[in-house]
Amino acid sequence: MTTGFWQQVKAVGGRDLLRERRRGDVLWITIPFGAIALLLVPLAVGTDAALLREIGPGMYWVIVMLFGVLVAVGKASSETLPQQDASLLLGLDPAAGFVGRSAAAALLLVVFEVVVGIVAVGLYDISLIGIPWLIFTVLIAAIGLALLGTLTGSIVNSTSAGTALVPLLVAPLSIPLLLGATQSYEGLRLGHSIVSWILLMVVVVLVVAIIGVLTARPLQET
Amino acid sequence: MTSVHFRTVTETPLVELSGVGVRIGSTQILRDVDLRIVAGEVVGLFGANGAGKTTMLRLIATLIRPAQGHGTVLGADLSTSERYDVRRRIGMIGHVPGLYPELTLGENLRYSAHVAGVPTERANEALGAVGLAGAVDRRAGASSHGMQRRTEFARELMIDRSLLLLDEPHSALDRDAVDLVEGLIERKAAERGAVVVVSHDRDRINAIAHRSVELAGGTLT
Amino acid sequence: MTAQTRNRWWPWAAIVLSLATAFTLAMVSPADDVQGNLVRIMYVHVPAAWLAYLAFFVTFVGSVAYLLTRHLRWDRIATASAEIGVYFTGLAIVLGMIWAKPTWGVWWTWDARLTLTAIMFFVYLGYLALRRTTDDPIARANRAAVLGVVGAIQIPLVHFSVVWWRTLHQPPSIIRPDGPAIQDPMMLVALIVGVLAFTVVYVSLMVKRIELIHLEDQQDAVERAADQPVAGEAVTAPDLGGPS
Repeated sequence: MTTGFWQQVKAVGGRDLLRERRRGDVLWITIPFGAIALLLVPLAVGTDAALLREIGPGMYWVIVMLFGVLVAVGKASSETLPQQDASLLLGLDPAAGFVGRSAAAALLLVVFEVVVGIVAVGLYDISLIGIPWLIFTVLIAAIGLALLGTLTGSIVNSTSAGTALVPLLVAPLSIPLLLGATQSYEGLRLGHSIVSWILLMVVVVLVVAIIGVLTARPLQET
Repeated sequence: MTSVHFRTVTETPLVELSGVGVRIGSTQILRDVDLRIVAGEVVGLFGANGAGKTTMLRLIATLIRPAQGHGTVLGADLSTSERYDVRRRIGMIGHVPGLYPELTLGENLRYSAHVAGVPTERANEALGAVGLAGAVDRRAGASSHGMQRRTEFARELMIDRSLLLLDEPHSALDRDAVDLVEGLIERKAAERGAVVVVSHDRDRINAIAHRSVELAGGTLT
Repeated sequence: MTAQTRNRWWPWAAIVLSLATAFTLAMVSPADDVQGNLVRIMYVHVPAAWLAYLAFFVTFVGSVAYLLTRHLRWDRIATASAEIGVYFTGLAIVLGMIWAKPTWGVWWTWDARLTLTAIMFFVYLGYLALRRTTDDPIARANRAAVLGVVGAIQIPLVHFSVVWWRTLHQPPSIIRPDGPAIQDPMMLVALIVGVLAFTVVYVSLMVKRIELIHLEDQQDAVERAADQPVAGEAVTAPDLGGPS
């Protein structure tokens, strides 16, 4: 990976973040959608404070996994065919495109997780324990989900189903991230070691990143 | 109108297609296409609506694989991964702009400069050269079709290309911009690159092209 | 391969023979002390589950091989295995649920293996959904191969995470997540024969399905090479008619 590679990563990531800043899809649509989902759950299961405290962390992470993937394949990160053609003819390395798009999606996912997390803490009275580890979990989950979403977005690119297929493909594959995040919180709450869960999430991130970079070129075939 | 002069056409083939066919999904678009384009040549490509002219351009741009036959562009085999290596030397301006509507014209061009590895100062210079110095901060989505096309021409001025592919370059352009297009074509040919121009304006293209080819029945005549 | 259908008889003979043997053994093996005849579901459920994992592994191997060689033969293997696998995964889940209800009083238990099998089912479904929505054969092979690799590499990670999770959250002792213990050698024999029989079924179905896919691809190639009208020929000069 040359200096040119990282320059392209920066260009693509910057482009996606700028597009999102101008569109505001994550801020004005996806985040409120996640927040309202958190609101719906107590209406369905009951408002007993002890129950909500018990299921709160799990519900939060389920909503992150299901709705967060929309961040990686939203309008601000998707491209029309003429836009894709133009980027390719600029000599964009598909792997740099993958890394750049994933980086932008990860950053947006961190924002999503933090804002929706604040709502979850408020509605479900969740205690924030082991804050440094919680922050790390939030970051790793964001990166993992961004990589999964971006890779899957590339896989379904130009198919007839398009981005509608992405949540179906990502959901089962995001389970290690879901379990890693929820069990880390449980471990912190109960005073158990969470190293194995953190390690699992890191492995997921590495595996998907490597596959995404190696398969970026073959996935270009339209 | 700018007078156009061309140097003697040399024999180095930049594009060589032999018996090439293209399918999109299950639909045959092109069949048995033979085409040879040498350095310094300007070729006009005509054809009825739906004849496959845009597909032909995307094929030459290495963005589509041939389903049948054999083709090379700038020495790269179109059926192998070699074609990824020559894309940077191919410029294409389609009839639908490839700009990001949320970004300004200047930001779109600076993005192109970053990815292509050219100094970003060239972006503003290029926008000035196409007469858009005053619209650098205008969002692409809020700009007219003609302005977006001029921006794409600015991109092609900014980046060194050996092959330029233009799809209906005169559409949506005023007279100044038309002169700009023809100046760009002349320059590319003079630099021993090659240009393929798709257009319905036969008279205008025949005045500047070395030759023209007709696409009908999925093949060239 | 030629364009003619190969009338291989041996796959069908193998299927009939092996299933007959397995069925016989399943019927003659003793009933379980606790579950009675309900245990006989296991002689189908366990082999079906084994087949699900085998098929998934073969899809993974086919996907990797395709990405490395770009020979469509590997894509055919991966697809055939995924198609067969999804059916047997569904069968394993349904049979497991039918067995669980009278045994444990619930249709589902969040047992690690059952949960993982359900997850694999959805990964397969996604793989087949992706293939359905991609027309171009090369693009379809590329995309499916990448998804096949991602899915297969993720599955062990999913497995670890689910097993660890279940280890931390043990079910009530009345439910034994490991299923019935094998008390009689005859039961073990019946189970092993069942697994072998299903493996024969899998291989036979694979042979037939790959042949079928290859024939479909050959037919597609023939259609492509044939003199069919190009898309542009559908556009003709307009004729507004009217007074001359």
